[in-house]
Amino acid sequence: MKGKRAVEGDHPGKGRPLPAVVVFVAVMAIFALAYRFYSVYLAEKVYALDPGFVTPAHEFEDGVDYVPTNRHVLFGHHFTSVAGAAPIVGPAIAVVWGWVPALLWIVLGTVFAAGVHDTGSLVVSVRNKATNIGTLAQTVINPRSRNLFLAVIFFLLTLVNAVFAIVIGTLFDSSPEAVIPIFAEIPLAIFIGQYIHRSNSSALVPSIVGVIVLYALIVVGIAYPIDISGVAEAMGMSARTLWIIILFIYTWIASRIPVWILLQPRDYINSHQLFIALAVIFLGVLIGMDTMTAPAFNSVEGPRNWFPFLFVTIACGAVSGFHSLVSSGTTSKQLDRDTDARYVGYMAALGEGSLALGAVLATTAGIGIVGLDWGAQYADFATASDGALGNFTQGVAGFASNIGVPIAYGTVFAAVVVISFAATTLDTGVRLQRYIIQEIGEIIGNGPLSRNLNLSTTLAVLLPLGLALAPAGENDTLAFGRLWTLFGTTNQLTAGLALAVIAVWVTKGGRNAMAQIVPLTFLLFMTVWALIINLREFVSNRDWLLAPLDLAILVLAGWLIVEAVVAIRNARTEARQVGAPADRS
Amino acid sequence: MATEHRRQHRIMLVREWDSQTSGSGCCGRLGGEHCDVGHPDTFAHNRPLMEAMGVIYRALRSELPRDAVEITVVDPRNMVWLIPTILRDGRRRGMGAGELWRQVNAGVRNGAIVVDGRALFAHDYAGEDATVDAVLRELAAASA
Repeated sequence: MKGKRAVEGDHPGKGRPLPAVVVFVAVMAIFALAYRFYSVYLAEKVYALDPGFVTPAHEFEDGVDYVPTNRHVLFGHHFTSVAGAAPIVGPAIAVVWGWVPALLWIVLGTVFAAGVHDTGSLVVSVRNKATNIGTLAQTVINPRSRNLFLAVIFFLLTLVNAVFAIVIGTLFDSSPEAVIPIFAEIPLAIFIGQYIHRSNSSALVPSIVGVIVLYALIVVGIAYPIDISGVAEAMGMSARTLWIIILFIYTWIASRIPVWILLQPRDYINSHQLFIALAVIFLGVLIGMDTMTAPAFNSVEGPRNWFPFLFVTIACGAVSGFHSLVSSGTTSKQLDRDTDARYVGYMAALGEGSLALGAVLATTAGIGIVGLDWGAQYADFATASDGALGNFTQGVAGFASNIGVPIAYGTVFAAVVVISFAATTLDTGVRLQRYIIQEIGEIIGNGPLSRNLNLSTTLAVLLPLGLALAPAGENDTLAFGRLWTLFGTTNQLTAGLALAVIAVWVTKGGRNAMAQIVPLTFLLFMTVWALIINLREFVSNRDWLLAPLDLAILVLAGWLIVEAVVAIRNARTEARQVGAPADRS
Repeated sequence: MATEHRRQHRIMLVREWDSQTSGSGCCGRLGGEHCDVGHPDTFAHNRPLMEAMGVIYRALRSELPRDAVEITVVDPRNMVWLIPTILRDGRRRGMGAGELWRQVNAGVRNGAIVVDGRALFAHDYAGEDATVDAVLRELAAASA
C-alpha cells in the first residue's frame, strides 16, 4: 500500500507554523472547562450524586478493603492504575491522518466518552455495594451479559499481549541501547522489593536510587547497545521476531512467579517514571516553543481511512473499557463521598487524555526538533504503525533536548519508559489470560486445563505469540497496525458494555441517559464499521488467522448491540411504569 | 456519614493495597477481593499487613472524632501525594529540614503510621493497644 501526503493547510493561521504550546494550552483549557461544566452536569443531572449517600467505604468500613479515602489519594491510586503505554501508542499511530483529527478524537472522546464512562462505572458500582462491572452487567442487564463480558475480555487480553510484545520487540530492535537498562530493571526491582519487604525499610531512598541507577544505565546502554540482528539472521528471522520470542519466554516465567517478587516492586520505579515522562514532555513543550511540523490534516491511501479507523486506533487516551474494571473493582470500595466520584473518575479520564496529548505533541512537533521528516515517517498507515514508537521516542528526545538532555540519551530514556509500562502490561496480561484459561477449563470440565499451571500459562503465551508472529511476513509492515486496530475494537467493546450498563442504570433511575447512549452508539457504529472493513480485507488476503478472529469480535459486537438495545428499551419501559423511582438501586 | 477534608489532625496508615498500581494500563487489575478477572489470592502476601493495619484503623476510628481527625490509608507507592503531605504537616509543627527528611524517609515505609507529619511504625509496638496509645500520645504532642 503506497500512501501520499496530501496536505490541506499544513498549519492553521495563514500558513504560519503553530507553536505546540498553543495546542497544549488550548487542550488543557478545554479539559478545564469540561471539568468545570460538563462533569458538573453529569454529577448533578445524570448521575444525581448525593453528598448524603452512604458509600460502601462507610457502609462496610473495615480499614482493610473498605476505607473512606481522601479523594486526592484515591485519584493518585486510580490514575496510576489506568495509565500505561496504550495511550501513547495509539495516538503515535493515529497522527498519520494529521494532528487535528487525532487531537479532536482525544479531546472529544475524553470529554464526552471517557469522562462519562469512567465516572459512570465508578458511580454505578458505588450505588451497588462496590460490585464489579462484570457482575453489574449480569445484574443490571441480564445473566448472558457476564458471558459476553468474559468473551470480550478473552479476546482483548490475547490482543493486548500480542501488540505489547510487538511494541517491546520493535523498540528493542530500533533502540538496542535500551536493552541493558530494561534487563537491569528486573534485578533492580527484585532487589528493591526484597529490601523493602524483608527489612521493613523505607521505600523512598531505594525507589529513587532505583530510578537513578536505571537512568544511569542508559549511558552504559548507549556505550554497549545489544543488537541481536546477527543471531536472528543466523536463525532465519528478523531481530524483532527473535525479540518477541525471547519476550514471551520471559513472560512465561514472569507470569508464573509471585507478584511480590517482580511485578509489584517494579511499581516503585514505574510510579516515578510516569510523572518524570509527563514532566519532561510538557516542560519541553513549554520551554522549547517548537512548532507543529506535521500537517493538520493528511489523507492516507488504502483501506484504512480515518473514518472509522481513527476511533479504534486511539482507544486508551480517548476512551478505554478497561478503566471500568479499575473503577468498579478497587476505587469504588474507597470512595469517601458519592460526590468525590466526579473528581476521581472524570479527572483520571482527563489525566489519560493528557498523556495522549503528550504522545500527539511528541510525534507532530517533537520529531521536528530532531530533524526527522514527518512526511517520510508517516508516508502511509503501514509506515506509521511500524514506526510510531520510534517516532514517539524521537519526539520525546526532542522535547528533552529543550531542557538540556542530549538527544541520544533522551531517545533511550523514552524507550525505557514505554518498555517499562509495556512490559508491566504484558506480565499482567499473560497472568490474567492464564486465569481466564483456567476458568474456561473449569467451565468445560477440563481438569488439566484448569489445574495444570504449565499448560494454562503455555496456552496464554502461545495464543498471542501466534498472533504476533503468524501474519508478520518479514516485509509485512502493516501486521502491527492490523493487530493494533483489532485490539482497539475489543477495548471499545468493553467500553460499550460498561456504557450500556451505566445507561440502563441511569434510565432505571428515571433520568436522561443520552450522555451514555450517544458515545455508546458512536463507539459501536465505528467499531462494527472498522471490523467489517477489516474482515473484507482479511478474507480477500486469505488471512485465515485474523479473519476468524475479526469475525468472532464482530459477532460479539452484534451480541452487545442486541443486549444494549433490549436492555435500554426495557429500562425505559420500566421507568415509565414505575414513574421515575429513586435512583439508589 | 460523609467526612470533611479540613480537619485539625491527620493520621496516615501507609501500606500496600492488594492490587497493582503503576503502568499496567489496559490490564489495570489482577487480584484482590471480588476481582472480575484475575485471582483473589494473587496478592495474598499483602493481606496480613492489611488486616493488621485494619485493626489499628478501626481502633483509632472508634477513639477519635471524625470531624477532628482524618485517618487515611495510603499506598507507599503513592509518593507524589505522600511526600508533600508529610512535609506540609511536619512544617506546620515547626520541624527543621533534617527532621523533615527523617520523617519523610520513615513515612514512606510499608507499615508506617504518620501522625501530623511524624512517622511511627506499626511493627515497633507490641499489639494494637500499644500502637493506638503511641498514636494518641503523638496526637497529644501535636496539639500541645
